[in-house]
Amino acid sequence: MTVTTTSVDLDTARSNQQQRRMPGDHGRPLTQSRGLARALRILSTALIALWFALPFLPLVLWSFADQWMHPAAFPMETGTDGLTAAIANGGGRAFLHSLALSLVVAAIATPLGAMAARALSRGQVRFGKAITVLLFSPVMLPPFAAVLGLNVLLLRAWVPPVVGVVLVLVAVAIPYTTFSMRAAYAAYDDGFDEAARTLGASSRLTLWRIHLPLIAPALARSAFLAFLVGWSDYLITLVVGGGHLVTLPLIIASSASGVGNESSVAVLSLSAVIPPLILLGLIARSRNLDPGRQR
Amino acid sequence: MPIRNPFRPQHSTTARRRILPVLATAALTVLALSACSAPTTTPRGPEFFDWADVQVAADGQTVKLWMWGGDDQGNAYVDDVLAPAAAAQGVTLERVPIADTKDALNRVFTELQAGRNTDGAVDLVWINGDNFRTGKQADAWFCEWTDLLPNMTAVSATDPLLTEDFGTPVDGCEAPWHKAQFSFVYNSATVPDPPTTIEGILEWAEANPGRFTYPAAPDFTGSAFLRSVLYSESGGYENVPSTFSDEAFDELSPALFDRLDALAPSLWREGSTYPATSEQLTKLFADGEIDMMMTYGPATLTALVENGTLPDTTRVLTVDDGTLGNASFFGIPSNSGNIAGAMVVANEALSVEQQVAKADPAVWGQFTVLDLDALSADDRALFDALPQSPVVPSFDILSQNANPELSAEWVPALDDAWRTRIAAR
Repeated sequence: MTVTTTSVDLDTARSNQQQRRMPGDHGRPLTQSRGLARALRILSTALIALWFALPFLPLVLWSFADQWMHPAAFPMETGTDGLTAAIANGGGRAFLHSLALSLVVAAIATPLGAMAARALSRGQVRFGKAITVLLFSPVMLPPFAAVLGLNVLLLRAWVPPVVGVVLVLVAVAIPYTTFSMRAAYAAYDDGFDEAARTLGASSRLTLWRIHLPLIAPALARSAFLAFLVGWSDYLITLVVGGGHLVTLPLIIASSASGVGNESSVAVLSLSAVIPPLILLGLIARSRNLDPGRQR
Repeated sequence: MPIRNPFRPQHSTTARRRILPVLATAALTVLALSACSAPTTTPRGPEFFDWADVQVAADGQTVKLWMWGGDDQGNAYVDDVLAPAAAAQGVTLERVPIADTKDALNRVFTELQAGRNTDGAVDLVWINGDNFRTGKQADAWFCEWTDLLPNMTAVSATDPLLTEDFGTPVDGCEAPWHKAQFSFVYNSATVPDPPTTIEGILEWAEANPGRFTYPAAPDFTGSAFLRSVLYSESGGYENVPSTFSDEAFDELSPALFDRLDALAPSLWREGSTYPATSEQLTKLFADGEIDMMMTYGPATLTALVENGTLPDTTRVLTVDDGTLGNASFFGIPSNSGNIAGAMVVANEALSVEQQVAKADPAVWGQFTVLDLDALSADDRALFDALPQSPVVPSFDILSQNANPELSAEWVPALDDAWRTRIAAR
C-alpha cells in the first residue's frame, strides 16, 4: 500500500483539530466564568485593585502639595517642597541604608530558610514538628518584649550594633522564608536531581544546574519576603541598632510624629513603597530558569 | 529515595553532620554564658578638672544626639547650624531622629542593664520633664557637669525655670537649651474679639459651641491645659502649692473638674471625644474645625503659617493671668563614650551666636535661655535685632506673668482624675 501525502491537507487537519477536542487537549476549561459571573469577576477584581490603589492617591497628591488646607479637594499649590524637605531630613542616606540592610537580610535568610524547608519537607529531621514550631516562634512572640530582652543579651555579648540588627532581622525573616520554601518543596520532584545523578552529574553540578534553576522562582519569592522584613522594620533597627543605622522607617516615623511635615512624609512613604513594588514586578515575571542549560 | 554517590565515603558526611550541631551548641552556650556574667554597677562617667581638659578629650569624638524628629525646622537647625559649629571644635555631631524621646531612654536603660557602662550609643538627648525625672530616678544621667561649661555664665543661676525641671531639681545633670511658653492660639478671622483671660476662653467656648477643644490627658499639651485651668479656678498659681499633697489635691481639684464638666457639652463633638494628641488638635485647627487651640511650642507656629499648614490669620493669645512656662535641656547619659564631646556641643549650643540663630523665627524661633539683662550691650543688640514674627509675640511679652510648672507628681494625679471624671462622663 502506498501512502500519498498530497491528499492530506495540513490546514484542514489543523482546523479539524481545533474543533475536535481530544482527551488531554487544551480547550475552554469549565472553571472559566461566563456571562454575569464573568462581569462580576471583572468588577470585583477592579474594586479590589481600586481598594489597594486608593490609599496611594492622597500620598501622591501630598508629595507634590506645597500648600493644601482643609476645604480644598486638591492641593492649592504644587511643587517640590516635600522632596526638598525629605532630602534635607536625610532621606537619601536612609534609603541607601534601608536597601543595604534589606538585601543583606534577604541574602542570609533565604538560603537558610531554603535549607530548613528542604530538610523538613523530606521528613528526615527528627522532632520535625517541634523544630517547625521553634522556627516560627520569632513571628509568634510579641516583638517589643522579645527585642528589649534580646538586646540586653546582644549588648552583654558585645555584638556590634549593626551585626545585631542583621542577626535579629534574619531570625524574624527565617519563618517567612522557611514557610514559602516548604510550599515550593512540597511540589518539587526529586526525580530531576536523581536523574541528573544517575547520568553522572556530581552533587554540586546537580545543585547548580538542576536544583537551583528549578526552585529559582520560589527562592525569589522568599527573598522578597525577607527583603520586606528588613525594609519595613522600625523597632529592631532603632533599639538594637542604637542609632548606627538610620533607615527609612526611622525617618518616616519621626517625621510623621510632628505636624506640618505631610508632604515630606508622603515623599518618604512613596520612596519606601516603590522598591518593593519594582521587586514584586520582577518576581511576577520570573519563571524557572532553563535547567541544565549549557554555557 | 534519593540516590547517594557510591564513591563518596559515607563516614565523612556523618562526621560532618555530628560536628556541626555540636559546634553550634557550643557557640550558643559561650554566648549565653558571657551574656549572663556581666556586672551591673552604675557608672559615674569621667572626671574633668577644667574646660581645657574637656576640650582635649573631646577632640575627634563623634556625638550622637538623639532628638524627637517631628520638627523639620529643628532638624535643619541642628544639621545646618549647630553641627558645623561643633565640627569647628573638633566634634562631629550626628542626629538620631526618634519618634519618642522614651526610645532614647529605653536604649540607655538596656545598656546599663547589660553592664555596658562606658560605650553607650546615646551621647546627648533633648529632654525635659517626665523623661528627665525617669532618668534621674534610674541614676542614668551624667551629673555635675554644667558648671564646667564656659557659656553657663550667661545663664541666670536663680532662674526657677532652669534650676528645676517640672519640680525635679536639675543638679547639674542637664544643660538648658531653650525655653517654651504655653500659649493659646486663635484664628483672628473667626475670633475678631478674643478673650483675655483663661476663664474668658472657657466662656468664649460656651458661647461658640463646637469651636473649641483640648487634647485628652495624659497628652503633654492636654495635661498642661488642665494645670492652666487649675491655676485659673484656684484664683492664680500662687494659690496652688507646687509640691503635691493629697490635701491640696482634694481641696483644689473639684473646682477644676466641675468647670470642665460644665464646659464639655460646648466642646467639639459635644465633648464626646477629644483629640488624642496635640498634633491632632493642631490638625483640627488647621482644617478650620475649631477656632482656638493651645500649644507648648509656639516657636513652630511661624513656620507652620508660612508653609501654609495654618491659616495666615493665626495669632497667639496673650492672657492676663499668664501661662505656664518650661525649659528643655540637653542630658548626657552616664554611660556615653563621648561625654567630653557632648559637653562641647551643649556649651556651643549655649553660645550667644547659636542662641540668636535658633531664636530667629526663620530658623527655628526657640526662645533663648540666656539672661538677656546680664548680656553685654553688643550681644543684647543681636537679640533685639531679631525679626519679629507676625504670629508669635516676643518672649518678654509672651512670658509676662509666667506661671511656674507644678511638681511632676501633680501631673499623673490630675490626668487620672480627668480620665475618670471627664472622659468617662
